[in-house]
Amino acid sequence: MAAQPMKSRWPGLLLLAVIAVALVALPWTVNNYWLRVATGALMWAGLACSWNMLGGYAGYINFGHSAFFGLGAYVTAFLMNDPFGLPFLVTIPAGMVVTAVFAVVIGAPTLRLRGAYFAIATWAFAEVLIQFASAMDFTGGIGGIGLPPFLNERFFYFAMFGAAALTYLVAWALFEHSRFGLKVKALRDHEPAAEAMGINTALVKLQTFVLSAVTASVFGAIFAYWVTFINPKSVFGGDITDQMVVMVLLGGLGTLWGPAIGGVALFVVNRLIWMHWGDTAFYIAVLGAAIVLVVLFLPNGIAGLFVRRKANALEKAAGKLVGGGGER
Amino acid sequence: MDLFLQTLLNGLLIGGVIATFTIAFQLTFGVLHVIDFAVGGWVVLGGYLGYYVTALLGLDGFAAIPLAFVLFGALGYLIGPVLYNVRNSRTARPELMALALTFGLFTLLRGGMLTAWGFNTRNVTTFLSGESLAVGPVIVPLIRVAAAVFAAAIAGGLFLFLYRTRYGLAIRATAENCHNAALMGVNIRRLSANVYGLYAGITAMAGVLMGAIYSVNPEVGLRYTLFAFFVAVLAGLGSVGGAVAAALMLGVIEAFVSTYVGSSYSLLAIFATLFVVLLVSPKGILRRGL
Repeated sequence: MAAQPMKSRWPGLLLLAVIAVALVALPWTVNNYWLRVATGALMWAGLACSWNMLGGYAGYINFGHSAFFGLGAYVTAFLMNDPFGLPFLVTIPAGMVVTAVFAVVIGAPTLRLRGAYFAIATWAFAEVLIQFASAMDFTGGIGGIGLPPFLNERFFYFAMFGAAALTYLVAWALFEHSRFGLKVKALRDHEPAAEAMGINTALVKLQTFVLSAVTASVFGAIFAYWVTFINPKSVFGGDITDQMVVMVLLGGLGTLWGPAIGGVALFVVNRLIWMHWGDTAFYIAVLGAAIVLVVLFLPNGIAGLFVRRKANALEKAAGKLVGGGGER
Repeated sequence: MDLFLQTLLNGLLIGGVIATFTIAFQLTFGVLHVIDFAVGGWVVLGGYLGYYVTALLGLDGFAAIPLAFVLFGALGYLIGPVLYNVRNSRTARPELMALALTFGLFTLLRGGMLTAWGFNTRNVTTFLSGESLAVGPVIVPLIRVAAAVFAAAIAGGLFLFLYRTRYGLAIRATAENCHNAALMGVNIRRLSANVYGLYAGITAMAGVLMGAIYSVNPEVGLRYTLFAFFVAVLAGLGSVGGAVAAALMLGVIEAFVSTYVGSSYSLLAIFATLFVVLLVSPKGILRRGL
């Protein structure tokens, strides 16, 4: 992407500037309800990007990403409450450190294995955390845990905006414009070949996994402070991971802007369903159907529709060379 | 001591039922190289079929078992080729896409069932429900015995099929190396459809039995998916022989934790065990191969 001619860059930059201005101006133009929707949309766009770092760029599916979102939320809730009473901004780095430690502990052994084991391990980890948080006293059990309320919608809007912008900036710099990104993509496309090129694939995967986990924890922390009350299901629940997976698949796996498109589109659909039918199980079925349909008919996501046909043909040829099933 | 024996027996009987669908799950992984998240969905759907057969048709719950095999076998036969196509597609990451597909299928099944039937639990009633037999100090619930016997018959039939027929040989060959099997004239695509159909049918049959022993609701599917994963990790993905031992172990662990620690901790214990095994011996502690 870096080698593209300059003239094609300006429309993109202009569009980005327009979106940025619109997002900054938004809190003064819409009512509180829609501001909350926009805050949520930014959070989900950021979370989708965080999942995409490992899932899209490195090709390892994480079915327990909600674990890291929840860890960030719980660390913030825990540290802001009585015995500690720390300020919000201090709890975010604390949550990041805790999350990073957990990510290393889980990732170091399982990332060496094939993707299937990693998917199971992460899924199991998130479920363990739900069970653990439900059973323990210091997490408030199933009842959950409250946070000191801070009712300033604009603050949370800009907090999510900042976190999302930072996440995309990191993803853009690391995965699209650095040697590190090339390494990650190389190991995704053909791991043994990448290893043969001298890439320490185990290390690169672990770094990507930790980065992806830590960004999710930041959103968890802001989310907890925003909604002022969390319980195991609301921050560790599998539905959170489901949504991230769908958003990334819908938007386009392994693309920078795909997760943003998918995240915002799906969150708006979510709110519309919620407005018309209430919080129903129907949405879960919609999520499932969306995953199935996207995998079958739109494997490159919405972003894939805008990629030039030539690039598509190239990718297909590459798939013919390295892809094909039954590696055993 | 009585409680100990009782718990052990309950665990082994349940483990036997778990073994049936986990064997099929392992077989499917061996042939298709896909972890099927939807396994819990098939179990729950089987349970609901059992419920509707008893509630609407007034038949005994056991009558649903052959019906479950035919119905879900057919459904699986239709889904199998789709899964095969995705797994062997020319996109850059077929393994990931196939995994996502089964995950989506599972979510779709769960959401669909929740929408259609809500959170209420349903039971499959059979002529053995509630009957039990006292053997010394131990009380043997007959429905569990019948389920375990049935499960053993299914598993035995499957093993005979795999190890004593030509088609079973083709399946084992495909699981070992699908390229070489294809070179020997095995139609991998059709075989995948058959194996997935066989697996879905067996899993739904196990679901009827599970519905007769416990009860079903759309949310318990997660639990059975976890069971299948647990067995897969303990036995090593794709290992059919180890699956029986791992399933029995799982049944016993669950029974003991439920009895001695508390049933709310049983899932936590299973997850924790799964996790430790993944960390310590990630390729499975019972690895035997097909």
